Order: sequence, then C-alpha cells, then structure tokens
Amino acid sequence: MKKISLLLTFLLFVGMQAIFAQTRDVTGVVTSVDDGSTIPGASVIVKGTTVGTITSMDGRFTLKVPAGARNLIVSFVGFTSQDVLLTNAKEYTIALNSEQIAVDEVVVVGYGTQKKRDVGGTISTVKGEDIKMTPVQSFDQSLQGKASGVIVTMPNGVLNNPPVIRIRGVNSISSSSYPLIIVDGVPVFTGDVSASSAASNALADISPSDIQSMEILKDASATAIYGSRAANGVIIITTRKGMAGKVKVTYDGYFGYTSPYHLFDVMNATQYVEHKNRAISNNPTSYGSQFTIPTLNNAPVNTKWSDYIYRTGSQQSHSVTISGSSPTTNYFLSVGYNNQEGMIRQNSYERKNARLNLDHKLNKYITLGANLAITNSFNAAPNTGSLSGQAYNTGGAARLAFVLPPNLAPYKADGTYNIDGSQIGSMGQPQTNYGYYNPVAIFDLNKYTAQNDRLLANFSVTFQPVKGLNLKTVYGMDNLSVESTIFQSAITGDGFAGKGYAENDFNRANRWTWTNTADYSLATLKEKLNFTFLAGTEKQSTKGNLWYGFKTNVADNFFETYQGSWVTAGMGGGSQYENYFISYFGRINANYDKRFYLEGSIRNDGFSGLAEGKKFGTFGGGSFMYNLSNENFIKTSKIAELFSDIRLKASYGKVGNMSGIGSYASLSLYSGGLYGASPTWGFSQAGNSDLKWETSDKYDVGLSFGLLKNKFTVEMNYFYNDVNNLILNVPQSPSKGIPGNTIPMNIGSMFNKGLEFSVTSHNFTKKDFQWTTNFNFSTLKNEVTSLAPGVTEIIGTTSGLETTNRTMIGYPIGNLFTVETRGVDPQTGRRVFVNKAGKEVLYSHESPAASRWTYRDGTGNAPAIALTTDGKISGSPLPKIYGGMDNNFNYKNFDFAFSLTYALDFKIYNGTKSGLRDQRWWNNSVEVYETAWRNPGDITSIPKPIMNDNVSNGSSIPILENVEKGDYVKVRNVSLGYTVKNLPSFLGIEKIRIYAQVFNAYVFTKYTGSDPEVSTNGNTNLTAGIDRNSAPQARSYSFGANITF
Amino acid sequence: MIKATICLMFFVLVGCSTDMLSLSPKTSLGELQAFDTKDRVIGQVNGMYASMKSGNYLGGRFQVYNDVRADNFLPKSTNGVTNYQTWNHSVITSTNEVINLWGAVYAAVNAINIFLEGLDSNWKAGTLTGKITDAEYSQFKSEALTLRAICYFDLLMLYAQPYNKDNGASPGVPLRLKANKTGEENDLARSKVSEVYTQILADLNAAEPLAIDKYTTNLLNTTRIHKNTIIAFKTRVYLHKGDFTAAQTEGAKIVSATAPYGAATGVPIGLNATFAGIWATPYTTKESVFSMPFTDTNLPGTQNSLAWYNNPSSNEAYYLTTTPGSTFSQMDATDARKMLFSTGTVSGTTVYFCGKYPSFTIQSDYAPIIRYSEVMLNYAEAIVRGGNAVTQKAVDLLNAVRTRSFPTGVYTLASFSTVKAFLDAMLLERSIEFLGEGLRNMDLMRTYSTIPAKSGTSAGSVSAIAPGTPTYIWPIPSSELDINKLMTGN
Repeated sequence: MKKISLLLTFLLFVGMQAIFAQTRDVTGVVTSVDDGSTIPGASVIVKGTTVGTITSMDGRFTLKVPAGARNLIVSFVGFTSQDVLLTNAKEYTIALNSEQIAVDEVVVVGYGTQKKRDVGGTISTVKGEDIKMTPVQSFDQSLQGKASGVIVTMPNGVLNNPPVIRIRGVNSISSSSYPLIIVDGVPVFTGDVSASSAASNALADISPSDIQSMEILKDASATAIYGSRAANGVIIITTRKGMAGKVKVTYDGYFGYTSPYHLFDVMNATQYVEHKNRAISNNPTSYGSQFTIPTLNNAPVNTKWSDYIYRTGSQQSHSVTISGSSPTTNYFLSVGYNNQEGMIRQNSYERKNARLNLDHKLNKYITLGANLAITNSFNAAPNTGSLSGQAYNTGGAARLAFVLPPNLAPYKADGTYNIDGSQIGSMGQPQTNYGYYNPVAIFDLNKYTAQNDRLLANFSVTFQPVKGLNLKTVYGMDNLSVESTIFQSAITGDGFAGKGYAENDFNRANRWTWTNTADYSLATLKEKLNFTFLAGTEKQSTKGNLWYGFKTNVADNFFETYQGSWVTAGMGGGSQYENYFISYFGRINANYDKRFYLEGSIRNDGFSGLAEGKKFGTFGGGSFMYNLSNENFIKTSKIAELFSDIRLKASYGKVGNMSGIGSYASLSLYSGGLYGASPTWGFSQAGNSDLKWETSDKYDVGLSFGLLKNKFTVEMNYFYNDVNNLILNVPQSPSKGIPGNTIPMNIGSMFNKGLEFSVTSHNFTKKDFQWTTNFNFSTLKNEVTSLAPGVTEIIGTTSGLETTNRTMIGYPIGNLFTVETRGVDPQTGRRVFVNKAGKEVLYSHESPAASRWTYRDGTGNAPAIALTTDGKISGSPLPKIYGGMDNNFNYKNFDFAFSLTYALDFKIYNGTKSGLRDQRWWNNSVEVYETAWRNPGDITSIPKPIMNDNVSNGSSIPILENVEKGDYVKVRNVSLGYTVKNLPSFLGIEKIRIYAQVFNAYVFTKYTGSDPEVSTNGNTNLTAGIDRNSAPQARSYSFGANITF
Repeated sequence: MIKATICLMFFVLVGCSTDMLSLSPKTSLGELQAFDTKDRVIGQVNGMYASMKSGNYLGGRFQVYNDVRADNFLPKSTNGVTNYQTWNHSVITSTNEVINLWGAVYAAVNAINIFLEGLDSNWKAGTLTGKITDAEYSQFKSEALTLRAICYFDLLMLYAQPYNKDNGASPGVPLRLKANKTGEENDLARSKVSEVYTQILADLNAAEPLAIDKYTTNLLNTTRIHKNTIIAFKTRVYLHKGDFTAAQTEGAKIVSATAPYGAATGVPIGLNATFAGIWATPYTTKESVFSMPFTDTNLPGTQNSLAWYNNPSSNEAYYLTTTPGSTFSQMDATDARKMLFSTGTVSGTTVYFCGKYPSFTIQSDYAPIIRYSEVMLNYAEAIVRGGNAVTQKAVDLLNAVRTRSFPTGVYTLASFSTVKAFLDAMLLERSIEFLGEGLRNMDLMRTYSTIPAKSGTSAGSVSAIAPGTPTYIWPIPSSELDINKLMTGN
C-alpha cells in the first residue's frame, strides 16, 4: 500500500515539476511556540512537491516556490508538522507546537508507558520540575503532600536522614513498610546506608534535577507486575531525556541558609538556680548544698547551650544540563554540585554528580539506550541523638541542647574545655557527676562521616521487527559503596573510657538486574478494539559485603583516624550476603471503543532466600475501567456539558512483601566464633523452611471526572488492603534455647482502608494570570487483626529503653501506651496517676519508698504505679486524615506558589517533654519555672518540684500527660519567582527565572513539642509517633536562578 | 520465522535455570555440613564452651550475681543495668538479669543438646568414621554431658529453692534434654529440684568414665573438661545435695591423703604456691581446675566482665563491705588475700575492691568456675558434716588453703569446740578465699542461711532476707512464663 502511494507521489512530482516551472522567493523563520526560540534544521517543503529546504542555524529559510504552490509543510522532529497557507506575503513566521502537547499525556507504568487515559490502575504522578528547587538532600523528601494516599515524614532536621514514606498506610509489622523504588527500570538500594552518626540516605545519590517524573503506583492493578515486592506500593523514577528541538543548555542553582525551626525555651542560669534550689528545699535529703551560679572571668555563667549546638547553615546547589536531539539520537547530560551545611553544627552534606542519558536509533529496527549516573556524596554529622536508636545517647546533641544546666560553662577560665573525664565538669555544683558530655568538646573532637560512591547505570537494546512489536533487553546496575568513619577522642566523651576510638566501615552493595520484555500492540475491529501485550523475564542479583575495623587507645591525640597510630591491636568484623530473584511476568491491556478498559498482570517470582521447593510464588492483579463520557448517551446528554471524561474503575490484586525475608532466612545455620584462642562452631539460626512472603489482597474502586470543561479534574478512590501472612518473630520459650528466642513465621494479619480524594482546579487561565490549585485528601484506618498464637501484644520500645507503643489485636499498629494521668492535684501539687482499678494515686518522691504512692482519697499507701500493670492504650500515632495542597500563581512574568501539607487526628508521645520537666538536675523549660505548682489551690499541669523526682513528669513511666494531639497544617514551601525573556541575544541567554523561597515556612499546630512531624524511631512500624530528644526540623531560605541558554 | 527465532532467543538468553536460587551464606555453615570434618566437630565442642562463656553467664555475670546478691559487696552505681536490683533484692520476673541469665544458660543447654544429638546420630550413621577416634567420641560426649550438668546446676542456684530446704521437693527448672530447632514443644513443666539433681549426677556419672585423663597443655587442662574436672564438680554438687558420703568419695579421688595435696591421676591439679599467682597470666596454674578463657579478641563485653564489677577504675564496680562482722573485717592484715585488694574512693572515702581481676583496660582476665582450693574445702566440709565431727583431716585441708595466704592463721583441732564452730570457720574461709568468684550466694543458699542486711554509701540499705522470704531466690522470668504454658513461677 505504502509503496504504491510512494510511487504515485513520485509520478505526481514528475508531472508537477513539468507543470509549475515558474517560481517565486519565500523567506521566513521557524520558531517554537513553547518559548519562542528559533528552530534550526526544520524542514520546509512545498506541499505536494519535493521542493524544499532546511532552516539555517538561526531558524531562517529561503525557498523558491513554484508559482502555483498553495501550501508549505513545515516539520521538525518532536513538533507537530504545520501546513502553512501561502499568501502574497514574502516573509513568514511559523511557530511549531511541540508534540508533547499535541499527544496524549503518557504515564510511566511497570515495564513501559501507557497513555494516561488508558490507565486503569491508581497512579499519582509528580513531575521532577516541581521538586528540583526544593533545598533538600533527596527527592523523596519533596514528595510530601504531593500525592493522595502518600504520607512522607521527615524524622527531624538532621541532614540526609531518610524520610518515612508510607503509601496507603503501614502494611507490615516486622518487615519494612517502605515502598519499592525503581529508577529507570532498576530497583535501587534505599534507606540509611551509613554505619556512623552521619545519616546517608541512599536515594540522595539521585540528583533531584535529573528527574523527569515520579510515578507512585498505589493499587494492586498498577503494582502487581512487581509481584512479591509490590505490597508497599512502588515509586518509579524516570530520569530526563533529551527533548526534540535545538540543543538546550540550562543552569539551575540556589544558595540559601537554614536554621532550626523551633527550639525550646529553657531556663537561664538565674531561673535554673532558683528553681532547682526550690526543688531541693522540697526534698532536703537530695543534696547537701545548693546550686549556684559560678563566676567565670568575672562574669556569672549563663550558658545557652543551644547556641553551641545549632547554627544558621549555608547551602548552595548548582546543576548544568545539556540536552538535545537529532532525528536519530537524543541525549541528556547533567552535572551537579550540592553543598549544604545543616542547622546542627558539624552537620553537612555534599554531593557531586554527573549523568548521561542517551538514546540512539541505530536503524529502522534497533534502538539503543543508555543511562549512566555517577555520584559522590559526603555526609558529616556529630552524634545528633536523632537517628533511630540514638534517643538516649548521652552525647546526643539535640538532647544536650536542653538538658544541660545553664550554670555550667563550655570552657573553664583558662580556656580549656570544662570536662571531667568523659563528662562535663561540675564547676563546684552539688551534682558532681553529670554523666552528660560537653557538646562543645565533643563537637570539636569527635567526627562521624559517611561517603557514598554510587554508579547507577543501564543499557538497553530495543528491537522492533514489525510495527507494534518491541523486543527489549535492559541490563541495569546499582553499585553502591559507602565508607563510614567514626572517631571518638580520648580527651572526653564516648572515647574517654577506651582512651580513644576509631572505626572505619565499608559497605559495598552491588546489584544487577537484567530484564527482557516483549510487547505487542494490536488494533482490530476498525481500530475499536485495542490490545497491548507484555511478557517478560527478569533476573536480579544483589550482593553485599560489609566490613569494619576499630581501634582503641590512641597513641597520641594527634591521630584522628583509624589509619593513625593506636596502642591496642585493632579488631573488626563484617557480614556478607547474596540473594537472587528470577521472575516471569506478563500484562494484557485491552480497550474497546475507548469505553471499556481491561488490564491484567501476573508475576511469578522466585527468591533465593526461601526454602527449596517453596521458592516461587505467583502474584497478580487486574482492573476494569469504564469511560462513560465516550458513551453516546452521555455525549448527547446534558451531563456532558458539565462533566467530561467520567471514569469508573475497580481493581483487585494479590501482591507480596519480601522485605522481611533475609537472604538465608530459610536455613538453619552454624556460625563461627572463639573460645579463648580456639575457633568454634555454634548453632546460630533456627531457619524456617516454610517461610514465604507476606501477602496483600488489595481492593480499589475509583471515580474520576472533569468538571466544567476540565476546569476541575477530580479523582476519588476507596481502597481496602487485607494483609495476611505477616512475618512475625514468634517468641519461643527461652528454655528451648533457640538463638534469639524467636522463629520467623507467617502468622499475623491486618488491614488498611481509606478514601483518597484529589482535585486539580484551574482557577484562572487568563493569558496574563493563571492560578492552579492541587488539593489532596486521604483517610486511613489501620487495624491489626491477628498476631501469633499466645501473643496478645507486641511491645515497641524507643531506643531499647522506653516502652512507648503496643501493637494489639483490634487496634491500629503501634498504639501509644501510657499510664493515665489527670493533671496535678491542686491541693498537694502532686501528679495524679490512675491505676488499673481506676483509682487516683498521688506520687511524692521525697517520701520513703514504701509511702511514695498514696491514694488521693486519703486511704493510705497504694501499690507503685507500673506501666505493665496500669498502662492503657493512649491513642494511635497514625494520622487518620492527611494530604496536601499546592497553589501556583502566574501573573505576567511573576510566579508565586505555596504548598501545604497536613495530618490530622493522631497522637504523638512527647517524650521530650518529660525530659524538659524532669526534676533531676536537668534544665527545664521556662514553662516549668513559671507555672510549676507552688501553693495549695494552684491549677497547673506541672507538679510541685521535688529534687530528683523523675516519676511525676514521665521520665521513668510514660504518662498520658505527655501524649498530645499531633494535628498540624504545615506551610511547606512558599516561593516567588520572576522570569525575564527576550534578553539581548549577545548574552546567549534565552530566559532567566530568579526566585526566592522558604522551605518549612510555618506550622499551625497545638502540639507543644518542637514539631509534630517527627519520627524519633525512623522508618519503624511498631514505634511510630515518638518524639524523644530529636533535633527540630530545619527552616530554609533560598534564592535561586533557572537559566536557559 | 526469523522473528520467531529472535523472540525465542530472548527467552533462551534468560534461561530457566534456577541454580542461582540456591545460595548459601559465606559466613555461616549450613547445618548439614556441621559434622563434615574433625575440625568442625572440635569447633562445635569449643562452641558449647563458648556459649556458656556468654557475658550473661559464665563470662562474668553469673559469678557477679552470686557475689552481689550476698553480703560482701556494695555498689558504686545505682545503674539497673549493672545488677543494682540483684544487689538490693528487688528483681522481678521482667528484670534484665532474671531474663538474661535464664536465656543464656538455656541457650548453652540447647547448644549442648544439639551437639550431643548430632554427634550421636553421625557416629551411629558412621559418617564420623575416620574423622574422629572412639576415644575422641567418648571425650566429646563426656564434655557435653558435663557442661549440661553445670548449666542445670547453675540454674538451680538462683531460680530454685536449695536442696537443703526440703530434700529437693521444691520446683526446679524444666529439663530440656533434646535439641530444639523448630517452633514446636514450647511447653514443658518444671522438674523437681531433686529430679534436676538426679539428671545432673546422671550426666556427670556418665561423663566421668568417658572423659579424657589429661590434655597436652595447661591451657586445655584449665579450659576444657577432663576427668578431674568432673570429679571436682561432683564434690560441689554432692555437697549442695547433702550427700556427704559421696562428696567424700569424690574428694578422695583427687585429693591425696597427705600434703602436698593434689590429684594423683589425670591432670595433676593442686594448690598453687601463691594466691596471687592464680590471678596473673597465663591464668592456667594447676589450681585453676576450670576457667573461662579470654583474649584480646575474645572479650566478655563491657558491663559483663568480672573486672567491670571489681576494678576500682570502673564507675559501676562493687566495693567491699567493711563493717564489723563483715568478711573484710575478719581478715588479717597480713593475709595475702587481703593484700590483693585494690583501693579506690567513693564519695571521698577510701574503699576496697577485690583485686583478682586487674585487666580493666582490656578486661581479658579469665573467669574462674572451680578451683582446687574449693575441692579441698568441699572435701573437708563433707568429712565434718558427714561424720558430724571435726577431724584432723578436715582441719588439715582447711589449713592448707588458709595458711597458704595467712601462714600464722593455723587452726588446730582445739580451735573448734563444736562442729558448728568448724562450719562457721569454713564458711568464713570460703567467703574470704572465693571473694569475687561467685560462690558466696551459693554457700548461703546451700546452708539455707539468711542473706545478711547491707548498707551502701550512695546505694541505700537492704534488709536481711530470711529463708522462706519470696525474694530468697530469683523469680522465674516473665519471658518463660509468657510462652511456656506449663511453667509455674516461684
């Protein structure tokens, strides 16, 4: 058919040339509608002839057209061809529309792309453009509030501390609830990969400015193609490609500064001494003498410790991209540099990265593609006490900022550190042994770093033997090396006891993924019935090698590294693992007449960590979608005037969670060790050969539509996720002597359900003024429905010391668990505790042990209150409602945007508050100084200060007084920009946008802690909602420019 | 056709091979390979010892619990992590010490049972033929049985009433005698104290004829079980059980009839010339019948080691009670054992610390389990208790231990007007001799004595605990009570 038409055309040309011998000159310029730039190399052809030319470097053309010619066809790769009617004019300006606008919006899905209107699964898309200017370390931190059903929590303001990401709630108990992250088709390493106090988020190695889009796959239909790893949702990152058009060079950069958003207002030295001495007078046996304000260099000591711990840090980021395409090749090249000082002293982050993405069409059949990204990132931090497991570190900086007394100084009169062995010196105070470190000394002396070298690369070949059929092979790799170092000085602090400590850790994690897919598209029944088939296989190998060495007893304080000279022989250790996936998968998409859509996918995963004969499992899901708007009866009805693109959809699937299954979990193992100098073997792991993945049955129904000619687009989904076979470490009788006293078994279950709503509203779309609002809203209900037999609850502890959460059947996971308190008894000033019988009990710390606890009704001594006997469920830390809102305004050359995130109806255990009110020598909040009980009749929430009382305010037993509503609305980001176009051409600059923005601008909340967005225990399922001695969040101001050359 | 071939090739390339799905770790051994070589079998033998050497058990804490529960020690610190609740008798079912010791001892028991089962089944199956000899098979088995007996004996010391209370009629501990590797059999009731003793003695009596006579090095003689270790331990077990005849029989096997006392056969165990010499490298004198070895690369862990609890440099050490009537106060200034004490200060006052564990920076001092001097004193006490009369032989044995360190402290028969006088002197001598070695609480329990009151400078005071008081022994840990449905508390 084609050949015949070519032949005909040829014959026609020959004929025409004979007919139209007369010519005239036509000139013009071809530009892009997008940005007005000229397009070189565009083809300009007289319609119906072979007469034509190509535009010059400045986009201009001159053409002799036959006298009778009526039209010009102007075309360029990536732009919609344009038919230009020739008039008498000699000069033409032809503006081409880029093809992206003309064609359907495309969404990245598992192993491919789909037209957005054909997608039956639930997928949210976040554009890279929307996040690249945010002054964060990793792209995942910018996902906050951007998509319904996704909650992202930054644990605190420590640089590069990985955020907690939950897609449709917590979906596991002992395994991870963290989603699968795919970058350009390759599952990548995630989480904090540092072995020191300097957090290092593996995802920060991906430069946010290299990201084209992030697709968040939520329901089973969208995720089932990822089978056993899909239960927590999937985030697909696609990096940028060269766009059609001339070579494009851009520069994006910002500089800014960051400071803590909310520090506690603690007592000054005068207040401290007055308050603590009052507490001593209420408990005279506590100290033999009073606290005083020492004089140092003729001035009274009054130390504001937070000034020595926090700072205003400066930040800068630069990235340059070069991209473009020829008819056969497109390329994207970027280099970036990012350097951020944290708000905590000594906390810094530096990233250097480069990326090359290339696609080349070798011939009609074969296309080659490659993505190559290398990154070096360097993290340094003090011991912030703010990473998971560090909450009670005596060297934790965040805690030192408020616990240390203001009447101690960082330096002695002679300028040396005020230290006494490992701890801070007491400067003549009655407390001789403070136990905590001098932060100035340990900040100066100790060092913690983590340095990542990352290579993310893939290479692909696509073979298209016939139209519609694509055979593709992709080999991808993620090679991550992390070197962590720890140095603790012998002078004071953690290193004092061992006379100095140095440790180097090396972690090399290598993964390769080889994916082969075949997809085929087919249209029949007059193109009304469309099919797309996908079949594929995938292999994935992951190897980890971790080793470390440490030394103690430094030869000379000059040495600050492991490599230095040390007296005691070094020791070390490490671990190794290897695991392997083999997978087979397929997907069918079908739609009929753009009205009925069906999608089904299936995946068979084999995993090396499972026992022989039980390695493989099959997962799958499907969806049905009905587009009412394409029904004639709708098209012709009044509904069509109001609503457009009305879709109803439903999906179901069964997917898995493998994250809880270690590489060798099914095996019973012996490990080596030492008995003195003799090598040993000992039984070390009771494997479970029946172990399998956790499974999620996910149900989803949705409705989406446009309103008033798409002025509003609305999407609603209801989901129900029934999670079964949860892997729990089932406790064994300790007398059995099983290593660890637990065996992992597939035994628990829970569900998540909720509603998601998102709307995009084009409030104004005038030429000079546009205003767009995106709003999303999600609800979530989580409930644990079964645990291991005989296990009624799973206890969650914060940093191994404080029991703060309990997971119980019939309740949401990780409920807060505290002893009920009812304020302070106005008559006596004592904290009112409520025991399990519901009776009110008062506590007086200064009394003899036997009579500290008394009934409030005067009936004598009461049994001591204990969490295990008197504790009660005190609320869920999981927000029941959450979401975000973005507003974008454009007025002429100005743009203004702000984004909000919010979380409602949840509780936080404010453990930090118990510390701020603790009546040991610890410094307290000014609130304590001002409002603690003094006289009978005082109504206050802070009891009578009794020196050494660590019970009344919740330090030794978590109390309900410290459980607070966490509800917040946060102004995440506010930005104002101005764009300059039409600059003099000699500058070579096409346009410049300059902007200013504030990140973490403001929080509306009644929460009294530093910030209701907090996760002291990091990415944990069982102990969420704990705020214990964590650093505050950071607020950043930045000023930047985006320049297109 | 070509297209079809290419399509096919894609999938052939990937292949259906699933070999890569069977991966085994490089740092751990699959259980099927654990008996493949002689070295691995020996590795497992050493592994049993290593599991008992856990810092929570014989690596240090077990001895410390038995010291600080009793009357000789006062804590510098009130840190709950460093046994403060054990010291002031406030441990409850969920206290770390109570949970951790139980777990550590039973972990060792299971390690031993796993080895015993594996050794026997491989031996019967013939898979060990040519790898180990008959004699080695016997030796390894005897070591395992002895270690299991020690584990059960130690459990009784804290979690059960002394045999002496009611001839072992009180609840003992669950007797786990099979290897546990699966989630089955969580429930097992407690055996009576007497039944546990029966099992301990059955294991020891079975082990004795199988045991090796002696090893080739002093290190092995001190750190591995041999025939005389078993006999030495039996003197302790019989003494606790009140079977004084049997205790004498065992004592006579390894204590020569006349001085210098020592074992005539097997490892020549005996008293070391000096007391101080026992506590110095290489820690393997003939007196150290059985000790847990440590090296720079194999340490008990901070807050576990004997040095952590006894060395003045430690912030969490325990110092000695010096009040009138205390063990310290009854020691002569010239006693070599008193000379060994080191000093430090607490709240500005000079206090004394047990000086047996000087290696504080590294904490690699060996942890003693049984010394020859104990065997002699066990023997002497068995003679007196068994015959209900003080004999010259008993006095000689007591003197041998006493006068090594305190040459002018010679007792004669006339020193003891009554049997009780001898037994009191014996108890004091043991308190002096074994200070910091974890025998004091065992002796108080064995004699069903009151644990005396004590009072520390900064740690508060603790009342005396009479037999029959609920806190006289430790509770059964909640971790066991929660899961083992047949378990009962104390």
